[in-house]
Amino acid sequence: MFGIQRNGYSGKLRWPRLGQDVAIVLWPSFLAASVATMICFAFLDPLLIGNDDYPPPAFSSRMTGYAVGFFFYWLVASLSSLLTLYLVRTAHPDLPEKDQAGDEDRGGG
Amino acid sequence: MTGPEMQVDGGLYEARQKIYPREVDGRFQHLRTGAAWILLGIYYAIPWLRWGGRQAVLFDLPARQFHLFGLTLWPQDFYYLTWLLVIAALALFFVTALAGRLFCGYACPQTVWTETFLWMERFVEGSRSQQMKLARAPWSGEKALRKAAKQFLWITFSLWTGFTFVGYFTPIDELAGSVVRLGTGPWETFWVLFYGGATYLNAGYMREQVCKYMCPYARFQSAMFDRDTLIITYDETRGEPRGARKKGADHQAQGLGDCVDCTVCVQVCPTGIDIRKGLQYECIACAACIDACDEVMDKVGYPRGLIRYDTQSGLEGSAKRVVRPRTIIYATLLALLVAGFGYSITHRNLVGLDVLRDRNALYRERPDGSVENVYNVKILNKDANAHEFEITGSGLPGLRVDYAGPTVWVGPGQVQGVPVRIRIPEDALEGGADIQVSIQATDQPGLRATGKARFLAPTD
Repeated sequence: MFGIQRNGYSGKLRWPRLGQDVAIVLWPSFLAASVATMICFAFLDPLLIGNDDYPPPAFSSRMTGYAVGFFFYWLVASLSSLLTLYLVRTAHPDLPEKDQAGDEDRGGG
Repeated sequence: MTGPEMQVDGGLYEARQKIYPREVDGRFQHLRTGAAWILLGIYYAIPWLRWGGRQAVLFDLPARQFHLFGLTLWPQDFYYLTWLLVIAALALFFVTALAGRLFCGYACPQTVWTETFLWMERFVEGSRSQQMKLARAPWSGEKALRKAAKQFLWITFSLWTGFTFVGYFTPIDELAGSVVRLGTGPWETFWVLFYGGATYLNAGYMREQVCKYMCPYARFQSAMFDRDTLIITYDETRGEPRGARKKGADHQAQGLGDCVDCTVCVQVCPTGIDIRKGLQYECIACAACIDACDEVMDKVGYPRGLIRYDTQSGLEGSAKRVVRPRTIIYATLLALLVAGFGYSITHRNLVGLDVLRDRNALYRERPDGSVENVYNVKILNKDANAHEFEITGSGLPGLRVDYAGPTVWVGPGQVQGVPVRIRIPEDALEGGADIQVSIQATDQPGLRATGKARFLAPTD
């Protein structure tokens, strides 16, 4: 603790665990999905996605294709973030967690 | 899901004590305000700029073209974007090595929009103490009115932010028209609300938590730090032992340092830390504590700079070193990348060519005995001017090219498909061979491109 209660910050300055978890899962996967969407659609025109023998294409407009692609990547990346978070959070407590302990010390509050 | 570490405490954001940063004035806050005005001005104004009859900056996703003033980038130019991102990252490293988290305090969108939302909050709810009083007060007509007014300002500003964001991707004047008619398309509406909602949550509620829990830069910036990096520091040797004292008293005789322990530096901190505890990763280097402390030092008649921008070596009394291996390496790399980018983008090939075989027939034997293949030649003109192109072929003896010529006109930034018939004399080829198809602008020798195609002939 910083000992700053007398200045008005009597409560906790940290996010609750759930808030942190939501942020840790959604935010990095959002960044990854943005990059994946950019790279993917730089090389692939969504209007060309579909079954070659039976038009029409899979998406009615490019914007739909981009959006579906983005949310698909976001979902997949979120699953990866979620699993990573789960594995980190449920790691055996006897394992050394040097970095985490260091953050706690500096974080305070 | 066992063990105490998986327990969930409270709701999403409610359990966090809200930080009410105390308003502060001073030279660094003037700089920050100026930076915020300039950056926000750039963000909100750029989509309205015109250049050569169209929006100056338009990332036209439906048409798969990026317009940047006179420059048009195509999906094929994607690597320029990657290159730009690498330059931006390296510039961030360079600035961080020199001056610490200057980006966080002055230029990060999270900081800038949070500041803007804080201004609106102060405009409606008053100073820090008034805000805290209002938060504690029971619900009343005035409280409801003030909260509603704040929400109105925040939501309007967020929607405008979302609208501007979408204006980078779809022509903003058309977008404005459809907003006025309440006729925006489904995706436009969605992205305006998505980006506006993100702004509202990030700048209105999440604020410093984004820096603490979501920002990777906050965690790895220390890798760019060394003893000569500018950081915001509290001069412990000068300040300690801290303590209150009577005005005009000789504090040194009382065994006290220069810190009067007024805690104003803590009250102004947007991330709620105490800079006197040393460098912490939550510090976004906004320098609010410097301005606050300078003001207090002026009042009590001590010299300024008890909290100041300094380097670790500077604090220990050594000379400041700006030029050092780390900064030289970053600067050299940065200069090379920028120069390479500049050269490459000014010397890039402005025409492209795609040769696609006609799918309906492999080849055709004509009455005169010659063999004909049909192609669809797509000419891509990335230049800002229209050009006339001649199409030629080579690679087989006696090859002739026939198309609706003599030249093909392609407008600026357009793709033109041309049916092209290529013929070779009887018995010039058995089976298949690769041929080259070339285009050449009639008015500019440098504008040319060559593509490869497969020519098929009977095998008998």
